[in-house]
Amino acid sequence: MAIGLMMIAGGFAAGVFGSLLGLGGGILIVPLLTLGFGLPVREAVGVSLVAVIVTSSASASVYLERHAANLRLGMTLELFTAMGALVGGLVAFLLSEQLLAGLFTVLLVVTAVNMARRREAVAPAPANGGSTANGGLSADGGAPAGGPVPSPPPYVIHNYGRGIAGSLLAGLVSALLGVGGGIIKVPVMHLVMGVPLRVATATSNLMIGITASASAIIYLVRGGIDPFVAGPTALGVFLGASLGSRTVHRIDVRVLRLLFIVVLLLTAWQMTGRVLK
Amino acid sequence: MTAGEAGAGAGPSRPGIPGPSEGDLDRTIARLLTRGTYLSIGLMAFGVVLMAATGVSPTDGTAPPFDLGRIPADILALRPTGFLWLGLVTAIATPLARVIASLVGYVRRGERGMALIAAAITAVVAAAVVVGVLAGH
Repeated sequence: MAIGLMMIAGGFAAGVFGSLLGLGGGILIVPLLTLGFGLPVREAVGVSLVAVIVTSSASASVYLERHAANLRLGMTLELFTAMGALVGGLVAFLLSEQLLAGLFTVLLVVTAVNMARRREAVAPAPANGGSTANGGLSADGGAPAGGPVPSPPPYVIHNYGRGIAGSLLAGLVSALLGVGGGIIKVPVMHLVMGVPLRVATATSNLMIGITASASAIIYLVRGGIDPFVAGPTALGVFLGASLGSRTVHRIDVRVLRLLFIVVLLLTAWQMTGRVLK
Repeated sequence: MTAGEAGAGAGPSRPGIPGPSEGDLDRTIARLLTRGTYLSIGLMAFGVVLMAATGVSPTDGTAPPFDLGRIPADILALRPTGFLWLGLVTAIATPLARVIASLVGYVRRGERGMALIAAAITAVVAAAVVVGVLAGH
Protein backbone atom coordinates (compact mmCIF):
# COMPACT_ATOMS: atom_id res chain seq x y z
CA MET A 1 0.00 0.00 0.00
CA ALA A 2 3.09 2.23 0.13
CA ILE A 3 2.62 2.92 -3.57
CA GLY A 4 -1.02 3.84 -2.92
CA LEU A 5 0.07 6.35 -0.28
CA MET A 6 2.66 7.74 -2.66
CA MET A 7 -0.06 8.20 -5.28
CA ILE A 8 -2.25 10.02 -2.75
CA ALA A 9 0.74 12.20 -1.83
CA GLY A 10 1.59 12.83 -5.48
CA GLY A 11 -2.02 13.70 -6.29
CA PHE A 12 -2.10 15.93 -3.21
CA ALA A 13 1.00 17.82 -4.40
CA ALA A 14 -0.47 18.15 -7.91
CA GLY A 15 -3.71 19.46 -6.40
CA VAL A 16 -1.95 22.00 -4.17
CA PHE A 17 0.34 23.29 -6.93
CA GLY A 18 -2.45 23.30 -9.50
CA SER A 19 -4.71 25.25 -7.18
CA LEU A 20 -2.02 27.75 -6.17
CA LEU A 21 -1.00 28.40 -9.76
CA GLY A 22 -4.43 28.42 -11.35
CA LEU A 23 -4.07 25.08 -13.11
CA GLY A 24 -6.28 22.06 -12.67
CA GLY A 25 -3.59 19.55 -11.89
CA GLY A 26 -4.02 17.49 -15.05
CA ILE A 27 -0.79 18.93 -16.45
CA LEU A 28 1.00 17.46 -13.42
CA ILE A 29 -0.87 14.18 -12.97
CA VAL A 30 0.00 12.69 -16.35
CA PRO A 31 3.80 13.17 -15.92
CA LEU A 32 3.51 12.05 -12.29
CA LEU A 33 1.87 8.77 -13.24
CA THR A 34 3.96 8.09 -16.34
CA LEU A 35 7.40 9.21 -15.13
CA GLY A 36 6.87 8.49 -11.42
CA PHE A 37 4.87 5.25 -11.49
CA GLY A 38 5.60 3.89 -14.96
CA LEU A 39 2.02 3.96 -16.22
CA PRO A 40 1.33 4.09 -19.97
CA VAL A 41 0.47 7.64 -21.09
CA ARG A 42 -3.05 6.67 -22.18
CA GLU A 43 -3.86 5.15 -18.80
CA ALA A 44 -2.46 8.22 -17.04
CA VAL A 45 -4.65 10.43 -19.22
CA GLY A 46 -7.76 8.43 -18.22
CA VAL A 47 -6.94 8.80 -14.51
CA SER A 48 -6.15 12.49 -14.96
CA LEU A 49 -9.54 13.08 -16.58
CA VAL A 50 -11.27 11.69 -13.48
CA ALA A 51 -9.21 13.94 -11.19
CA VAL A 52 -9.95 16.94 -13.40
CA ILE A 53 -13.71 16.20 -13.25
CA VAL A 54 -13.67 15.99 -9.45
CA THR A 55 -11.82 19.29 -8.96
CA SER A 56 -13.90 21.00 -11.65
CA SER A 57 -17.20 19.92 -10.07
CA ALA A 58 -16.06 21.10 -6.65
CA SER A 59 -14.90 24.50 -7.88
CA ALA A 60 -17.77 25.03 -10.36
CA SER A 61 -20.26 24.75 -7.52
CA VAL A 62 -18.52 27.63 -5.74
CA TYR A 63 -18.41 29.74 -8.91
CA LEU A 64 -22.13 29.21 -9.47
CA GLU A 65 -22.97 30.08 -5.87
CA ARG A 66 -21.03 33.34 -6.33
CA HIS A 67 -22.55 33.95 -9.79
CA ALA A 68 -19.01 34.19 -11.18
CA ALA A 69 -19.62 31.78 -14.07
CA ASN A 70 -21.86 32.42 -17.08
CA LEU A 71 -23.95 29.23 -17.17
CA ARG A 72 -25.60 30.06 -20.50
CA LEU A 73 -22.34 30.76 -22.29
CA GLY A 74 -20.72 27.74 -20.64
CA MET A 75 -23.49 25.40 -21.77
CA THR A 76 -23.49 26.81 -25.29
CA LEU A 77 -19.76 26.26 -25.70
CA GLU A 78 -19.53 22.98 -23.79
CA LEU A 79 -21.78 21.38 -26.38
CA PHE A 80 -18.80 21.79 -28.71
CA THR A 81 -16.08 20.94 -26.17
CA ALA A 82 -18.01 17.70 -25.52
CA MET A 83 -18.10 16.96 -29.26
CA GLY A 84 -14.35 17.59 -29.48
CA ALA A 85 -13.81 15.38 -26.44
CA LEU A 86 -15.84 12.57 -27.96
CA VAL A 87 -13.65 12.61 -31.06
CA GLY A 88 -10.49 13.00 -28.96
CA GLY A 89 -11.46 10.06 -26.75
CA LEU A 90 -11.69 7.85 -29.81
CA VAL A 91 -8.56 9.20 -31.48
CA ALA A 92 -6.53 8.70 -28.28
CA PHE A 93 -6.86 4.93 -28.67
CA LEU A 94 -5.54 5.11 -32.22
CA LEU A 95 -2.38 7.07 -31.43
CA SER A 96 0.90 5.53 -30.30
CA GLU A 97 2.29 6.08 -26.80
CA GLN A 98 5.18 8.01 -28.30
CA LEU A 99 2.92 10.40 -30.17
CA LEU A 100 0.77 11.01 -27.07
CA ALA A 101 3.91 11.64 -25.02
CA GLY A 102 5.15 14.00 -27.74
CA LEU A 103 1.89 15.96 -27.75
CA PHE A 104 2.01 16.17 -23.96
CA THR A 105 5.58 17.47 -24.11
CA VAL A 106 4.46 20.23 -26.45
CA LEU A 107 1.65 21.09 -24.02
CA LEU A 108 4.14 21.30 -21.13
CA VAL A 109 6.38 23.70 -23.05
CA VAL A 110 3.43 25.84 -24.20
CA THR A 111 2.15 26.04 -20.61
CA ALA A 112 5.62 26.99 -19.30
CA VAL A 113 6.00 29.72 -21.94
CA ASN A 114 2.47 30.95 -21.23
CA MET A 115 3.21 31.17 -17.50
CA ALA A 116 6.51 32.95 -18.11
CA ARG A 117 4.78 35.56 -20.28
CA ARG A 118 2.07 36.06 -17.67
CA ARG A 119 4.58 36.37 -14.83
CA GLU A 120 5.40 40.01 -15.43
CA ALA A 121 1.75 41.01 -15.45
CA VAL A 122 0.93 39.28 -12.19
CA ALA A 123 0.28 41.52 -9.20
CA PRO A 124 1.58 40.53 -5.76
CA ALA A 125 -0.75 38.23 -3.87
CA PRO A 126 -2.77 40.19 -1.34
CA ALA A 127 -2.38 39.28 2.30
CA ASN A 128 -5.90 40.24 3.28
CA GLY A 129 -7.63 37.09 2.14
CA GLY A 130 -9.09 38.77 -0.91
CA SER A 131 -8.67 37.75 -4.48
CA THR A 132 -5.51 36.08 -5.72
CA ALA A 133 -3.08 36.96 -8.45
CA ASN A 134 -5.43 35.47 -11.00
CA GLY A 135 -8.49 37.02 -9.48
CA GLY A 136 -9.22 34.22 -7.07
CA LEU A 137 -10.16 32.00 -9.95
CA SER A 138 -8.37 28.98 -11.23
CA ALA A 139 -7.88 28.62 -14.97
CA ASP A 140 -8.08 24.92 -15.42
CA GLY A 141 -10.18 23.02 -12.96
CA GLY A 142 -8.52 24.10 -9.76
CA ALA A 143 -10.52 25.18 -6.76
CA PRO A 144 -11.41 28.84 -6.38
CA ALA A 145 -9.94 30.91 -3.59
CA GLY A 146 -12.05 32.15 -0.74
CA GLY A 147 -13.56 35.62 -0.56
CA PRO A 148 -16.24 37.41 -2.52
CA VAL A 149 -16.00 37.78 -6.28
CA PRO A 150 -17.04 41.25 -7.44
CA SER A 151 -19.63 41.51 -10.22
CA PRO A 152 -18.06 41.81 -13.68
CA PRO A 153 -18.78 44.92 -15.75
CA PRO A 154 -21.43 44.56 -18.49
CA TYR A 155 -19.95 42.94 -21.56
CA VAL A 156 -20.90 42.03 -25.09
CA ILE A 157 -20.15 38.55 -26.41
CA HIS A 158 -19.13 38.30 -30.05
CA ASN A 159 -17.33 35.94 -32.44
CA TYR A 160 -19.38 32.86 -31.54
CA GLY A 161 -17.99 31.06 -34.59
CA ARG A 162 -14.41 31.35 -33.38
CA GLY A 163 -15.53 30.50 -29.87
CA ILE A 164 -17.10 27.29 -31.14
CA ALA A 165 -13.95 26.40 -33.11
CA GLY A 166 -11.81 27.02 -30.01
CA SER A 167 -14.17 24.90 -27.93
CA LEU A 168 -13.92 21.97 -30.33
CA LEU A 169 -10.13 22.19 -30.16
CA ALA A 170 -10.16 22.49 -26.37
CA GLY A 171 -12.32 19.36 -26.10
CA LEU A 172 -9.98 17.45 -28.40
CA VAL A 173 -6.89 18.48 -26.43
CA SER A 174 -8.60 17.67 -23.13
CA ALA A 175 -9.47 14.15 -24.26
CA LEU A 176 -6.08 13.43 -25.78
CA LEU A 177 -3.96 14.77 -22.93
CA GLY A 178 -6.13 14.52 -19.80
CA VAL A 179 -6.23 18.24 -19.04
CA GLY A 180 -9.12 20.65 -18.59
CA GLY A 181 -8.41 22.63 -21.74
CA GLY A 182 -8.55 26.00 -19.97
CA ILE A 183 -5.30 26.95 -21.69
CA ILE A 184 -7.36 27.26 -24.90
CA LYS A 185 -10.84 28.14 -23.61
CA VAL A 186 -9.88 31.07 -21.37
CA PRO A 187 -7.93 33.01 -24.05
CA VAL A 188 -10.61 32.29 -26.66
CA MET A 189 -13.43 33.53 -24.41
CA HIS A 190 -11.47 36.50 -23.09
CA LEU A 191 -9.54 37.73 -26.12
CA VAL A 192 -11.75 36.56 -28.98
CA MET A 193 -15.27 36.65 -27.54
CA GLY A 194 -14.88 39.67 -25.26
CA VAL A 195 -15.72 37.93 -21.98
CA PRO A 196 -14.07 39.44 -18.86
CA LEU A 197 -11.15 37.31 -17.65
CA ARG A 198 -12.79 36.44 -14.33
CA VAL A 199 -15.98 35.25 -16.03
CA ALA A 200 -14.03 33.42 -18.75
CA THR A 201 -11.97 31.60 -16.12
CA ALA A 202 -14.98 30.60 -14.03
CA THR A 203 -16.99 29.59 -17.10
CA SER A 204 -14.10 27.52 -18.44
CA ASN A 205 -13.97 25.74 -15.10
CA LEU A 206 -17.68 24.96 -15.28
CA MET A 207 -17.27 23.53 -18.79
CA ILE A 208 -14.42 21.20 -17.84
CA GLY A 209 -16.70 18.73 -16.06
CA ILE A 210 -18.85 17.76 -19.03
CA THR A 211 -15.92 18.00 -21.45
CA ALA A 212 -13.81 15.58 -19.44
CA SER A 213 -16.83 13.35 -18.74
CA ALA A 214 -17.53 12.85 -22.45
CA SER A 215 -14.03 11.46 -23.00
CA ALA A 216 -13.69 9.77 -19.58
CA ILE A 217 -16.72 7.62 -20.47
CA ILE A 218 -14.86 6.33 -23.52
CA TYR A 219 -11.71 5.65 -21.46
CA LEU A 220 -13.88 3.91 -18.82
CA VAL A 221 -15.76 1.55 -21.13
CA ARG A 222 -12.63 0.79 -23.17
CA GLY A 223 -10.64 -0.22 -20.09
CA GLY A 224 -8.49 2.91 -20.05
CA ILE A 225 -9.02 3.67 -16.34
CA ASP A 226 -7.54 1.57 -13.53
CA PRO A 227 -9.66 2.07 -10.37
CA PHE A 228 -6.70 1.17 -8.12
CA VAL A 229 -4.77 4.11 -9.58
CA ALA A 230 -7.67 6.52 -10.15
CA GLY A 231 -9.03 6.23 -6.59
CA PRO A 232 -5.89 7.24 -4.65
CA THR A 233 -4.87 9.86 -7.25
CA ALA A 234 -8.27 11.58 -7.43
CA LEU A 235 -8.53 11.55 -3.64
CA GLY A 236 -5.10 13.17 -3.31
CA VAL A 237 -5.82 15.80 -5.97
CA PHE A 238 -9.15 16.70 -4.35
CA LEU A 239 -7.58 17.11 -0.91
CA GLY A 240 -4.63 19.06 -2.33
CA ALA A 241 -6.84 21.40 -4.36
CA SER A 242 -8.99 22.02 -1.28
CA LEU A 243 -5.93 22.95 0.77
CA GLY A 244 -4.46 25.04 -2.04
CA SER A 245 -7.63 27.10 -2.44
CA ARG A 246 -7.61 27.88 1.29
CA THR A 247 -3.98 28.95 1.40
CA VAL A 248 -3.55 30.67 -1.97
CA HIS A 249 -4.19 34.16 -0.59
CA ARG A 250 -1.46 33.72 2.04
CA ILE A 251 1.27 32.76 -0.41
CA ASP A 252 3.25 34.92 -2.80
CA VAL A 253 2.86 32.81 -5.91
CA ARG A 254 5.52 34.68 -7.94
CA VAL A 255 8.42 32.56 -6.71
CA LEU A 256 6.25 29.45 -6.89
CA ARG A 257 5.35 30.29 -10.46
CA LEU A 258 9.00 30.63 -11.43
CA LEU A 259 9.80 27.31 -9.78
CA PHE A 260 6.89 25.73 -11.57
CA ILE A 261 8.11 26.93 -14.96
CA VAL A 262 11.40 25.18 -14.27
CA VAL A 263 9.55 22.02 -13.16
CA LEU A 264 7.42 22.05 -16.32
CA LEU A 265 10.48 22.38 -18.56
CA LEU A 266 12.35 19.62 -16.72
CA THR A 267 9.26 17.41 -16.97
CA ALA A 268 9.07 18.18 -20.70
CA TRP A 269 12.70 17.06 -21.00
CA GLN A 270 11.91 13.82 -19.14
CA MET A 271 8.85 13.22 -21.31
CA THR A 272 11.02 13.61 -24.39
CA GLY A 273 12.68 10.38 -23.26
CA ARG A 274 9.31 8.67 -23.60
CA VAL A 275 8.89 10.07 -27.08
CA LEU A 276 12.27 8.74 -28.19
CA LYS A 277 11.82 5.30 -26.60
CA MET B 1 -25.70 41.11 -26.25
CA THR B 2 -24.82 41.73 -22.61
CA ALA B 3 -23.66 39.35 -19.93
CA GLY B 4 -27.23 38.58 -18.93
CA GLU B 5 -28.09 37.76 -22.50
CA ALA B 6 -25.12 35.59 -23.29
CA GLY B 7 -25.65 32.21 -24.85
CA ALA B 8 -28.10 30.88 -27.36
CA GLY B 9 -31.72 31.00 -26.32
CA ALA B 10 -30.84 33.46 -23.61
CA GLY B 11 -33.35 35.64 -21.92
CA PRO B 12 -35.52 35.86 -18.87
CA SER B 13 -38.29 33.42 -18.07
CA ARG B 14 -41.42 34.09 -20.11
CA PRO B 15 -44.04 36.21 -18.32
CA GLY B 16 -46.73 34.10 -16.71
CA ILE B 17 -44.69 30.89 -16.88
CA PRO B 18 -43.69 29.66 -13.44
CA GLY B 19 -40.14 28.43 -13.14
CA PRO B 20 -36.96 28.82 -11.14
CA SER B 21 -35.15 32.15 -11.34
CA GLU B 22 -31.64 32.29 -12.80
CA GLY B 23 -30.22 32.48 -9.25
CA ASP B 24 -32.34 29.53 -8.09
CA LEU B 25 -31.08 27.43 -10.98
CA ASP B 26 -27.47 28.35 -10.25
CA ARG B 27 -27.92 27.41 -6.58
CA THR B 28 -29.67 24.13 -7.39
CA ILE B 29 -26.89 23.14 -9.78
CA ALA B 30 -24.22 24.23 -7.29
CA ARG B 31 -25.77 22.00 -4.60
CA LEU B 32 -25.97 19.09 -7.02
CA LEU B 33 -22.30 19.47 -7.96
CA THR B 34 -21.24 19.70 -4.31
CA ARG B 35 -23.18 16.59 -3.29
CA GLY B 36 -22.01 14.61 -6.31
CA THR B 37 -18.39 15.54 -5.63
CA TYR B 38 -18.51 14.63 -1.94
CA LEU B 39 -20.36 11.39 -2.68
CA SER B 40 -17.81 10.33 -5.29
CA ILE B 41 -14.86 11.30 -3.10
CA GLY B 42 -16.41 9.50 -0.12
CA LEU B 43 -16.89 6.31 -2.14
CA MET B 44 -13.36 6.46 -3.54
CA ALA B 45 -11.89 7.16 -0.09
CA PHE B 46 -13.66 4.10 1.33
CA GLY B 47 -12.43 2.08 -1.63
CA VAL B 48 -8.86 3.22 -0.93
CA VAL B 49 -9.24 2.23 2.74
CA LEU B 50 -10.42 -1.22 1.62
CA MET B 51 -7.45 -1.40 -0.76
CA ALA B 52 -5.15 -0.81 2.19
CA ALA B 53 -7.04 -3.32 4.35
CA THR B 54 -6.85 -6.04 1.71
CA GLY B 55 -3.25 -5.29 0.71
CA VAL B 56 -3.98 -4.25 -2.87
CA SER B 57 -1.26 -2.21 -4.55
CA PRO B 58 -2.19 0.20 -7.39
CA THR B 59 0.56 -1.10 -9.64
CA ASP B 60 -0.36 -4.78 -9.28
CA GLY B 61 -2.34 -4.58 -12.49
CA THR B 62 -5.01 -6.74 -10.86
CA ALA B 63 -7.97 -4.41 -11.36
CA PRO B 64 -10.89 -6.18 -13.02
CA PRO B 65 -12.36 -4.54 -16.13
CA PHE B 66 -15.25 -2.13 -15.65
CA ASP B 67 -18.54 -4.00 -15.33
CA LEU B 68 -21.51 -1.99 -14.11
CA GLY B 69 -23.45 -5.14 -13.26
CA ARG B 70 -20.78 -6.37 -10.84
CA ILE B 71 -20.71 -3.23 -8.72
CA PRO B 72 -23.62 -4.12 -6.37
CA ALA B 73 -22.15 -7.55 -5.63
CA ASP B 74 -18.69 -6.08 -5.05
CA ILE B 75 -20.12 -3.49 -2.67
CA LEU B 76 -22.06 -6.10 -0.71
CA ALA B 77 -18.89 -8.18 -0.46
CA LEU B 78 -16.95 -5.05 0.66
CA ARG B 79 -14.52 -5.42 -2.23
CA PRO B 80 -12.55 -2.22 -2.95
CA THR B 81 -13.34 -2.34 -6.68
CA GLY B 82 -17.08 -1.94 -6.00
CA PHE B 83 -16.62 1.33 -4.12
CA LEU B 84 -13.91 2.61 -6.44
CA TRP B 85 -15.93 1.94 -9.61
CA LEU B 86 -19.06 3.46 -8.08
CA GLY B 87 -17.06 6.52 -6.98
CA LEU B 88 -15.61 6.88 -10.48
CA VAL B 89 -19.01 6.51 -12.13
CA THR B 90 -20.49 9.05 -9.70
CA ALA B 91 -17.67 11.51 -10.45
CA ILE B 92 -18.13 11.14 -14.20
CA ALA B 93 -21.95 11.32 -13.95
CA THR B 94 -22.02 14.44 -11.75
CA PRO B 95 -21.45 16.96 -14.59
CA LEU B 96 -24.08 15.15 -16.66
CA ALA B 97 -26.52 15.43 -13.74
CA ARG B 98 -25.79 19.17 -13.78
CA VAL B 99 -26.73 19.35 -17.47
CA ILE B 100 -29.94 17.35 -16.90
CA ALA B 101 -30.87 19.63 -13.98
CA SER B 102 -30.27 22.63 -16.27
CA LEU B 103 -32.46 21.00 -18.94
CA VAL B 104 -35.32 20.61 -16.46
CA GLY B 105 -34.82 24.16 -15.18
CA TYR B 106 -34.82 25.70 -18.66
CA VAL B 107 -37.88 23.67 -19.71
CA ARG B 108 -39.73 24.92 -16.63
CA ARG B 109 -38.69 28.47 -17.48
CA GLY B 110 -39.91 28.03 -21.03
CA GLU B 111 -36.48 28.69 -22.54
CA ARG B 112 -36.53 26.41 -25.52
CA GLY B 113 -33.14 27.47 -26.90
CA MET B 114 -31.20 26.67 -23.74
CA ALA B 115 -33.27 23.52 -23.19
CA LEU B 116 -32.31 22.35 -26.68
CA ILE B 117 -28.64 22.99 -25.97
CA ALA B 118 -28.85 21.02 -22.70
CA ALA B 119 -30.60 18.18 -24.54
CA ALA B 120 -27.92 18.20 -27.24
CA ILE B 121 -25.14 17.99 -24.62
CA THR B 122 -26.93 15.03 -23.03
CA ALA B 123 -27.15 13.41 -26.47
CA VAL B 124 -23.39 13.91 -27.06
CA VAL B 125 -22.59 12.26 -23.72
CA ALA B 126 -24.99 9.40 -24.53
CA ALA B 127 -23.26 9.06 -27.88
CA ALA B 128 -19.93 8.80 -26.06
CA VAL B 129 -21.27 5.79 -24.13
CA VAL B 130 -22.54 4.09 -27.30
CA VAL B 131 -19.42 4.88 -29.33
CA GLY B 132 -17.16 3.77 -26.47
CA VAL B 133 -18.96 0.44 -26.14
CA LEU B 134 -19.01 -0.15 -29.90
CA ALA B 135 -15.34 0.80 -30.30
CA GLY B 136 -14.41 -1.54 -27.45
CA HIS B 137 -15.79 -4.59 -29.26
